[in-house]
Amino acid sequence: MNCEVCQLKELDVEYFEIREVLRCILHTIFFHRALGLVRPKDVDLTLFEITYVQCGDAELEKKVDDKIDQFIDRVEKHPNKKNQICLSFFEVKNKQATWFTHKVEHLYWEQWYINLNVAHHPKPHSGKSHHSKLVLDPGESASDEGNARRATLESSLHEVLFQIIKFVNEKKDHIPPIPNMEGVSFPYEITISSSSDSAFGMDMFKRMLQTGHPTMLS
Amino acid sequence: MELQYNNEHGRNDQIVSQFLLKTLHIVLESRVPSLRPPPSPPRSSSFVKKSDKWFNLALGDRPTAFTFAHRDPMIIDIILVQEMGQNQSGYGALVETVIERWAVQYEYSRASQSQSSESYKKTYKKSIILLRSLYSMMRLLPAYRAYRTKAKGKPCDFDITYKVSSFSVPFTRSEEQVMKLYTFFPVEAQHGHLSVSVKYRESLSDFNLETSATFPPEIITDYVGSPATDPFRAFPPVPQRPHSWTSGGPFTKNQSPPAYHSSSGRFDLSYSPSPSYDVYSQRTRQQSHHSFDDSPPFSPSPPMYLSSGGNYIQSRLRSETAPVSIPNPLFTRHLSPNLSDPNRHSLPPLSPRSTRYEPSSHESSPAIRSLKKSEMARVGDLSSASGSGSANHYSSSHKVSRDNKDDSGRFSGLLSSSGSPRIGFSRSSSRLSLQDELDDIDFSCPFIVDDVDTCDFPVSDVAFDSQSGAGGKQGKKSQDAAVGALVRMLRTAPPLRQDSSCCSDHVEAQSNASGLFMSRKTSDALEELKAYTGIKHLILSKSKDTL
Repeated sequence: MNCEVCQLKELDVEYFEIREVLRCILHTIFFHRALGLVRPKDVDLTLFEITYVQCGDAELEKKVDDKIDQFIDRVEKHPNKKNQICLSFFEVKNKQATWFTHKVEHLYWEQWYINLNVAHHPKPHSGKSHHSKLVLDPGESASDEGNARRATLESSLHEVLFQIIKFVNEKKDHIPPIPNMEGVSFPYEITISSSSDSAFGMDMFKRMLQTGHPTMLS
Repeated sequence: MELQYNNEHGRNDQIVSQFLLKTLHIVLESRVPSLRPPPSPPRSSSFVKKSDKWFNLALGDRPTAFTFAHRDPMIIDIILVQEMGQNQSGYGALVETVIERWAVQYEYSRASQSQSSESYKKTYKKSIILLRSLYSMMRLLPAYRAYRTKAKGKPCDFDITYKVSSFSVPFTRSEEQVMKLYTFFPVEAQHGHLSVSVKYRESLSDFNLETSATFPPEIITDYVGSPATDPFRAFPPVPQRPHSWTSGGPFTKNQSPPAYHSSSGRFDLSYSPSPSYDVYSQRTRQQSHHSFDDSPPFSPSPPMYLSSGGNYIQSRLRSETAPVSIPNPLFTRHLSPNLSDPNRHSLPPLSPRSTRYEPSSHESSPAIRSLKKSEMARVGDLSSASGSGSANHYSSSHKVSRDNKDDSGRFSGLLSSSGSPRIGFSRSSSRLSLQDELDDIDFSCPFIVDDVDTCDFPVSDVAFDSQSGAGGKQGKKSQDAAVGALVRMLRTAPPLRQDSSCCSDHVEAQSNASGLFMSRKTSDALEELKAYTGIKHLILSKSKDTL
């Protein structure tokens, strides 16, 4: 079992765009990995002219939103850093406990790295930052620069989605048998790290050891 | 599916067939708005049709039924239809452009037979993923935005249709240059692999796809072929185009292929003999009932298409008695002319017998909505609101060819961009036995015993030039001449229903084109008057006798 890794193209986002962008990317990945019966649900982004597809699983939606909240909190605490979300799919293996791992081992077979570069914006925090996207400086949004940046981000996001589709299609052999026919069929975890984090590299290292293969950073 | 799937081979075949069907479903439901099923009540999470569970992607009802040999490639063309180059009378040519071409195929490869072939389970799992990515991709390609614009239901200056076949006319070089190719990674199967690829137009900005604002209705007085321009003009027959749907498999009676609207670039009119006066009457009637603003007056073309379409489509129709609304006959010109018997019927045939009117159809044709109730009641004299009935199946025929889905008519907004298009359209969601309707078609309808109210006519815009005005206010001489011409036409016309004999009687008493209606009414009245006069005389004479 090898672990396939996909490093998604880095995106430069504004604060208020984080939620939409992350939702879009994460749900697109999940849609291609929830191989049980799904009723696809189309979601239009409000900030961009992009439509992505969700699995239609309410529980998953909630989990994703929670993680995004965590990410945004982290970004607020560590501004001006490269931030990364890692979505990993694993198999649960019962193994004998070793000094390195617990009894139940997570055998990662796929990892997605979503790299976001959040532009630091001095914004007043009003609770959850998902409201912040509505609080736009009108002067800024009207500027050509803002529009150009927005357009670039939209096309980059498009590229990321294409990247996901391409990866999902090309690498299929590593997918384990589907254990669960409903919803997201494989166990997964989402971890957040940022470049300033001392544990950033440690997380990567740990995962490398757990999977038993050197991660391929493409 | 009569496949034995208790063996590897049978399973494989089944997967391939279902894969093709699912792909078709995915492509069509995200490109062709008219195929969208009507919004259904919220489904219980537990219930998914068995056929829908294939590949673990529940999409709902299939838009169309297709049977095809799964050995043949399946080419799905997504076609954008626009009206271009409108001339002074407001009509332009319909231009069809293939904006996407999907090619799905189970490619046999000898080589794979020597290797250990993929078990069907692996094939199935991989095709699940492929279909997921196809579903996502449908929303990322440029044509999706066009679909969304169209699906909003507002008037647009374009339409999206499709064509499914097992072959395709290759693109021209210039077309190839603007198209990009995307190939999905093939899925290995038992004796080959499933491949999906798409050629798509990178940019649709050339087409200026926009939602058009609604605009006030415009009466076209000098449309092509109007009696004003040439009362006795006969229209050329519509050229036939070959069918282009799949050649592979058997087509059951109920599977009419999607109507491939081949009115490429030409405003094709096709009429039976002496249509002009029908045009007159139809047009006049329409004009008078233009209380609904969504579509401009009709054009003289449609009936031909519709009638020919009727036979073809009829088999697909669920012949429910759902009332239909009068589509704007213009709409029908987009129907495929290769449907049977183009010369069977001539015009805006409004069957006297069909009184169906679907008031609930909010998307019903402007024509029907524009018919006042009073008018309809009177129409009942001859045609008993058959205007609605027969007109309906124009749209219904078209709609039926789209699998009887409720939707806005294909070209509902096609030509209604602000200002220029003069062509109306229908948005009927009718389901109707076309054949029955067509049987009812006759010429009696133009002679509706209707007091085509003078106030209903947009006064100066009536198509008939100097003969405008409902009450013969223009110079009598020219009007009489026109009336005489009409009478000649009437007399040489094919036999009408029983009421037709009255028509010609008092035409000379009328003074304008709308006088057809007027003449009908007046002649009727005069007849009655005569009858009553006769009775009166009789009674008087008898009373004198008795006295």
